[in-house]
Amino acid sequence: MTVPRGRDESRPYRFGLVGARFIAPATSAPGPGATSGLNRLSRLIPTVAFLAVILIGWELAVRLWQVPAYLMPGPSAVGARLVGDPLFFGREGLVTLSEALGGLIIGGGLALGTGLLMAQWRWLERALLPVAVVAKVTPVVVIAPLFVLWFGFDAWPRLLIAALLAFFPILIGAVAGLRAVPTAAREVLLTLDASTVDEVLLLRLPSALPQLFAALKVATTLALLGAVVAEWVGGDRGLGRAILLANSNLDTTTALAGVATIASIGMALIGLLTLLERRYVFWQAPLDRS
Amino acid sequence: MAVIVAERPCEPAGASRPVASPAVEAIGVSHTYEGRDGVAVPAIDRIDLRVAPGELVALLGPSGCGKSTLLRILSGLIQPSRGIVTLAGASPAAARAAQGIGWLAQDDGLLPWLTVAENVSLPGRVGRRRAAVHGGAVQAMLRQVGLEDSARQYPHELSGGMRQRAALARALVAEPELLFLDEPFASLDEITRERLGDLLLDVRAARRPTTILVTHSVVEAARLADRVLVFSPRPARVIADVEINLDRPRRHDQAGFGTLVQSLKIELAGSGNHQ
Repeated sequence: MTVPRGRDESRPYRFGLVGARFIAPATSAPGPGATSGLNRLSRLIPTVAFLAVILIGWELAVRLWQVPAYLMPGPSAVGARLVGDPLFFGREGLVTLSEALGGLIIGGGLALGTGLLMAQWRWLERALLPVAVVAKVTPVVVIAPLFVLWFGFDAWPRLLIAALLAFFPILIGAVAGLRAVPTAAREVLLTLDASTVDEVLLLRLPSALPQLFAALKVATTLALLGAVVAEWVGGDRGLGRAILLANSNLDTTTALAGVATIASIGMALIGLLTLLERRYVFWQAPLDRS
Repeated sequence: MAVIVAERPCEPAGASRPVASPAVEAIGVSHTYEGRDGVAVPAIDRIDLRVAPGELVALLGPSGCGKSTLLRILSGLIQPSRGIVTLAGASPAAARAAQGIGWLAQDDGLLPWLTVAENVSLPGRVGRRRAAVHGGAVQAMLRQVGLEDSARQYPHELSGGMRQRAALARALVAEPELLFLDEPFASLDEITRERLGDLLLDVRAARRPTTILVTHSVVEAARLADRVLVFSPRPARVIADVEINLDRPRRHDQAGFGTLVQSLKIELAGSGNHQ
């Protein structure tokens, strides 16, 4: 269901490369599916209510059965730990976030480039896809120590592991999106004698955006996970390292506070992607929203 | 007003007409494609046709008979299994670059992330004929199709009829010498369909691009075309070549129009018995 958006009448309609077009400011009017602010807030009610039930139940259970904190601390204790040392979690979270984002940029960029080539030449897909699958299904706990051996103890192995995990979903999304080109628009471009580059920039990339956004959401969570696991294996910074240390000290409260930080980062990134998606894929409802 | 309905079935279309250099010519074109189970499916069977410069020819046939495939072969989007296609003596690929082909299909093919004006200006952005779109051409085209007030709207904000108008403007903005239409108004309601048919005649009046209109509507073919080629069911063969000499604009109550529609319907119905 699409809702017409208000248009900025002062915006010139000349357009250049597709990239330039997408930087052009969209109007602040809500995209398809979004309605008034009150309505949007009311949509959050199920999320908040469910979360509240879980947290209250958890707190009650911990207090009722007097569970020791090293086995399972209550959410109030975890919250107190977070509030008590925000700098620590903020600093370590920033390390993990930058590793995940760096990995996402490296892995996503490579995946998009490979996807562009694969969408053009099917033989390349047949050649490369098995390799990508093998790289994807090999457990991170096997790859991570090897990467540390190969690339040293600095940030590189952690970036590359995050990149490796982000690569596969974006590759699959890019190939699927770039191939699923609207036939009628493609025929128009062909009769206009458009070059392959024009076809990619004007048609294939924009029409792949919905699938690319869906893939990017999956890849973002995986890159975050990859960064955390890589920190377990080799690293002196980051939330993964903090959680590992806390676990070995039986400091479950700190470990769970670290998990809560990672969850917040993940949700913030997904939220940001959803906002970007609404802005740049305004002509259709997102793939993963009913 | 004398009404002449000339019929020359099963003969190279337009062969007896004094045509210096046909704008579109197909000689012995056949096409077979591979079906889902690997079986060869014949779509088009030995088609000869000639279209004179400036002519508006309708390809009329039952749904799925292969006439849309023929249009794609004529434009060079599909290579035929056998036969030769020339557009003003050149190959379709050369003609696309030299004369330009305006293309409009049932699915408007508008890019949903561009405004109407951006969509209409697309021929000025790509291909070797982009220079043919002169300054102000987009505005002029939008005015001609009555969309000057919708220039900044996006396709999903328009009705089906308005989207087809925009697609028609895009097809003509580079002033092509060939205009290929594949069931362009098939998904529209009856009234919008007639209006857009009239609009098509209006906008092509100035430069008269050679036009091929694929349709399954007898009335549409009778209202718009200079000549109607009637096709058999798949594999498509030309079974009748009907020249229409009725005054324009043609109306349903015009003398001779009903007879014309009837005779076309008989040809079309007769084509089914060939199977």
